[in-house]
Amino acid sequence: MANRTLAICRQAPYGSALAREGLEAVLAAAAMDQSPELLFVNDGVFQLLDGQEPAAIEQKSLQRNLQALPMFGVETLHVCKLSLSQRGIDPAQLQITGAEIVLVVDVGKFIAGFDIALNF
Amino acid sequence: MTLHIVSKSPFSSSALSDCANAVRDGDALLLIEDGVYALSREMPEKLAAAKLYCLAADAAARGLAVPGSIEAIDDARWVSLCTEHHPVVSWFK
Amino acid sequence: MSNIEIEGRQIALDKEGFLRNREDWSPAVAKHLAEAEGITLTEAHWQVIALLQDFYREFELSPAMRPLVKYVGQHLGADKGRSIYLMQLFPPSPARIGSKIAGLPKPTNCL
Repeated sequence: MANRTLAICRQAPYGSALAREGLEAVLAAAAMDQSPELLFVNDGVFQLLDGQEPAAIEQKSLQRNLQALPMFGVETLHVCKLSLSQRGIDPAQLQITGAEIVLVVDVGKFIAGFDIALNF
Repeated sequence: MTLHIVSKSPFSSSALSDCANAVRDGDALLLIEDGVYALSREMPEKLAAAKLYCLAADAAARGLAVPGSIEAIDDARWVSLCTEHHPVVSWFK
Repeated sequence: MSNIEIEGRQIALDKEGFLRNREDWSPAVAKHLAEAEGITLTEAHWQVIALLQDFYREFELSPAMRPLVKYVGQHLGADKGRSIYLMQLFPPSPARIGSKIAGLPKPTNCL
């Protein structure tokens, strides 16, 4: 059986390159039919916020890139419920067209279901 | 069971507290590099039922004593922890 | 890095022949880039080029093969959303060659 891989996205989108690096790793894997599952947790949930306009800081919109995930075959995004509530984000605000947002309550249990976990 | 590895100081990074939210009872947590500065203060409560390890060389290098509640290990034991657990999650930032 | 001259404008290319600046793109530039790949552009090509540019506007990245096939299928129908169809238009690597002719950056996740 193939290894089940989880990409844990826990960094905010523009303060460092890590969020983008993580997404690029996921897209590269997905392009090879090795789609990992994604978990957005801690500051990583900020990647999902609507209305990102980073042109003035000379960056591309990470949220737009995330919208491409369903095109790459990643159709479920797991999001930590606690991280959202700690940051005052209403789950209903999160919309990635073509993808289902699934809230995760027990992050530890969720992670334990994978063979490989990558932390971005 | 999952092996969590934390390599950043809890005084400058959220890595340890982020990790603590994802640790289940029976999981292992290994402190390495600046992660060993967690020894300077109380561990987050959520880690009470986790097995705690610390890389002895990294603690010694920083002049930190390893308390009895935490097992000081060498590189060989680190490797065996990696083989005994899965997945292995590095909370490196 | 090399330059080409199209309609009196100097257009900068990288060493693999991709546009340095996406704003330099024009249909005449596309024709030139296609010829360099041995491709004569037809209506079918232009359809896919327009879709590649839509994809980039929507997602701010160039598609790899799999998302390109899916996107074309969604917009032009299942008979065109097939790798064999795209392969005939933009051999040997539709995502890469198509992106190049459409003036997009090289797909980062394309081998």
